[in-house]
Amino acid sequence: MTDVVLRVNGRERKASVPPETTLLQLLREHLGLTGSKLGCDVGDCGACTVIVDGKAVNSCLMLAGQVDGREVLTIEGLATRDRLHPIQRAFEERASLQCGFCGPGSIMSAKALLDENLDPTPQEIRDALAGNLCRCTGYTKMIEAIQDAARELRTEKSARTAP
Amino acid sequence: MKGFEFVSAKDARHAVALMAEYGPKAKILAGGTDLLVDLKSVPEAPPAVIDITRAADMKEIKVTDRGLVIGALATHGEIMSSPEIRDRYPALVDAAHSIGAIQTRSLGTLGGNLVTAVPSLDSGPALVALEARVTIAGAGGSREMPLIEFFVGPRRTALKAGELLVDVVIPKKNLGKPAGFQKFGLRKGQALALVNSAASFWLDPAKKVFVDPCIALGAVAPTVIRAPKAEAYLAGKKVTPEAMAEAGRIAAGEAKPISDFRASADYRRDLIAVLTKRSLEGALAVAERNQKESRK
Repeated sequence: MTDVVLRVNGRERKASVPPETTLLQLLREHLGLTGSKLGCDVGDCGACTVIVDGKAVNSCLMLAGQVDGREVLTIEGLATRDRLHPIQRAFEERASLQCGFCGPGSIMSAKALLDENLDPTPQEIRDALAGNLCRCTGYTKMIEAIQDAARELRTEKSARTAP
Repeated sequence: MKGFEFVSAKDARHAVALMAEYGPKAKILAGGTDLLVDLKSVPEAPPAVIDITRAADMKEIKVTDRGLVIGALATHGEIMSSPEIRDRYPALVDAAHSIGAIQTRSLGTLGGNLVTAVPSLDSGPALVALEARVTIAGAGGSREMPLIEFFVGPRRTALKAGELLVDVVIPKKNLGKPAGFQKFGLRKGQALALVNSAASFWLDPAKKVFVDPCIALGAVAPTVIRAPKAEAYLAGKKVTPEAMAEAGRIAAGEAKPISDFRASADYRRDLIAVLTKRSLEGALAVAERNQKESRK
């Protein structure tokens, strides 16, 4: 068994799992976080995207042992009891998802992008979503939602830093 | 996935020791973007997966007296944002950017991409055009060789059992050498190259001629190849759009592309001509920018 201690969505979590357990299985089957989805299981579809130490990754392509001591953020870590994260709210307002299966992964890719760049160009947004397959929407409304969220996050940030 | 033992290496030396301990069937985990896919489909699990992702001594990107040293564990994302690479080697940035998508670039490593030695690998041509060398560590010490000789055949490298690719070095004589990279795939993201091409040359500031031109092609032969006839044609020639286009046509005749469900050999040959011309144009843009900056 592989013993891991990691931070997931700001909380310390421990698990003892078979060595062949992927990060996605660790999250879904051992920690009860089923927001990240199992799609292709080979790193093509992006439905399992989570953020590890600030970077968007395919959680189906990491072993649990690799995240020992690291910081993982999943879709469950975005909303609070009172409100959705601005990216989630923008996806809702723009009706950016239809079946929704790619949603958690797409939103985590958007989150990783906006954490590094609060003013992305449409091309940068497309690049950030290139690893998230969506067969319903055609992406246009996701891109618009991410632009809306970026605008809102910039406003929040300037309000926080204003004297 | 079938069960295996999971062990983590502290550094390159420890990894080599673990490889000796677990034998040739043990697998090295660097980025995992290929390994995990393989492990999910193999009928028999390896005895151990040796995780080298924590070997900090294999991650650095720095200029030393050997040249520009890129640790084998540098991810494609780290190569794109490295201050040593970002501004001076757009060809390496473009090659890294052309791989997979952001999620695979955060995990996938330069060493892992090279070790797969698939004919279409994207990080090979630009490094070969800069005459990169690789360092290989084994139980008996380490050895070095040109990257182009590291590729022995499709999915075959010069690595012997128990050996580990440690770093890739752009030699001192090519530090800052202008280079361009072009990939053509069927989509921008998550697509294999139909053809990729890289070119480097020094631009003689007075005579405006090609000095030391070097052209490398990928996905058009069993391994990454150079285009020596096209290089010889360019050497000492005045830098003109016509010369670059002609070099592309010559390079197309030097490759042995295959026909498959992605593209025909004829189409790939046409692509080689166009992409080689564009790689040369890319290198020229870098050379002109460098000369403008050095005049400031």
